[in-house]
Amino acid sequence: MTDPVDSHAVAAAAPGRPKQGTAPSGGSALHAVKSVGAKLRPWWFPVAALGGYEWYARTIGKNSDAIAPPTAAAKAFFTAITDGSLWGATGFTLGAAALGLLIAAVLGIASGIVLGLSKRTARMAFFSIEVFRPVPSVALIPLSMLVFGFGLRMEFSIVAFASFWPLMILTQAAVQQVEPRLLEVSRVLGLSPAQRAFKIILPAIVPRLFVAMRLGVSIALVVAVTVEVAANPNGMGYAMMIAQQSMDPGLMLAWLFWIGVVGYAINFGALRLERWVNRRMGAVA
Amino acid sequence: MTPILTFNEVAIHLGGREILSPTSFDVGRGEFVCIVGPSGCGKTTLLRAATGLLLASGGEVRRHGKLVTEPTREVSFVFQDYGRALLPWRSVEGNISLALEAAGVPAAERPARIADVLAKVGLSKHAYKFPAQLSGGMQQRVQIARCLAQKPEVLMMDEPFGALDALTRQSLQDELARLVRDEGLTVLFVTHDLEEAIYLGDRVIALQANPGPGRPSLARMIDVQIPRPRDQLSTKEHPEFLKLRRELFAFIEQSHD
Repeated sequence: MTDPVDSHAVAAAAPGRPKQGTAPSGGSALHAVKSVGAKLRPWWFPVAALGGYEWYARTIGKNSDAIAPPTAAAKAFFTAITDGSLWGATGFTLGAAALGLLIAAVLGIASGIVLGLSKRTARMAFFSIEVFRPVPSVALIPLSMLVFGFGLRMEFSIVAFASFWPLMILTQAAVQQVEPRLLEVSRVLGLSPAQRAFKIILPAIVPRLFVAMRLGVSIALVVAVTVEVAANPNGMGYAMMIAQQSMDPGLMLAWLFWIGVVGYAINFGALRLERWVNRRMGAVA
Repeated sequence: MTPILTFNEVAIHLGGREILSPTSFDVGRGEFVCIVGPSGCGKTTLLRAATGLLLASGGEVRRHGKLVTEPTREVSFVFQDYGRALLPWRSVEGNISLALEAAGVPAAERPARIADVLAKVGLSKHAYKFPAQLSGGMQQRVQIARCLAQKPEVLMMDEPFGALDALTRQSLQDELARLVRDEGLTVLFVTHDLEEAIYLGDRVIALQANPGPGRPSLARMIDVQIPRPRDQLSTKEHPEFLKLRRELFAFIEQSHD
């Protein structure tokens, strides 16, 4: 058997690329079995854990109201897909998260640029920022509920509040790290302040902005679901709460699984987008 | 010759240290003036003050009689670190276009002007490449092309060829001399390479570091009476070239101690 590091390298290598670390001799059949085995290796533990849980839920925990076997969760999951409740709730949560993130991005990036460019503004704003920033986003639920009532607005406003701070601070740091020579070039060429912002600073901070946005995406999703679990009667978090309160652990687990899948898919997509943009932004060679 | 640039008792203090002691000289229209001196003598600082990137602490810099307080498009600046002065996310063409965009040149006129300056620096075939795909010499050519696109009257150059290998430097020196003559540019050229200064300049100004209280940074002013066009072999064997080289070397050596 090859050592784990090598087999991971094989699993990660794209098909068609020369594979390293495999046995130099031996038939191609043996080679194929080995490579399939290596590809399956990350799945062994989850499959074993699921199987163990299924067995536990069907035997020892048979009469429990709190646990359901994975098969029951899968059944509930497919019901939720077919009756459309899955898509409605997912759409609401993602919509609220996206809207909140959009607001946070526009405000956070704009104010981050201002703070990054002007040391004086940054000094003046420091106190206010440090007072508001540490407020836990969940603590805003009562206030937001009073102002907006239940629904989309209360949720995306909290999401916006939570993701605004990291976006602003990371943008500020990114602006402060823009190559000073480029700012001198913009002075010598006579760029207007607007040109300087859009033609020099924004493109220069794009790679760092994407890191900030990726962080913002995960925060937005976490906060959106949290608000739904805690208060807002909408979306995936609420659906999970309802399943729990109506003693339907199968459906609850189905939602938990689905929230995990959505989070993974979105982070994966954001990472791919980031890499693609970095390649486009002149990060050639 | 009517002076374009007038330096009148220009002194610069940075962080409580006197970088440049009161220095006066004029630069005439179409003149190629090289500034040499040991490191720390304020060459680059002087150039930045002449551009308006830095405000003199004492005295004044005037261009056409007007006080220089901030950069203008008539004065262009070539930085030594071409790798940092070019936008890595813009192609060669895009980098040159930046100067035109800043000057408010209509989009329809830009391609022709970009093609024009690219031809002047011999980069016509590389318009769509990105800076990271070019050699150092080519990147510096892009920066010079961007400056030319500004249609400046004065070109400030801060050790532009200092980071290049000897052969690339020589060919760029010859290209620069030709461009300056064709465009009728006035040039202020900072270098630590004495031969380069004599080879390119109509006049060489030597600065000294820490001249002592009450004395100017400007130590020598040498007129280079070597006919143009110059070339790398015969000019550097010219008796006048050898004489000036000896003179400047002796001066730098003595002021280095």
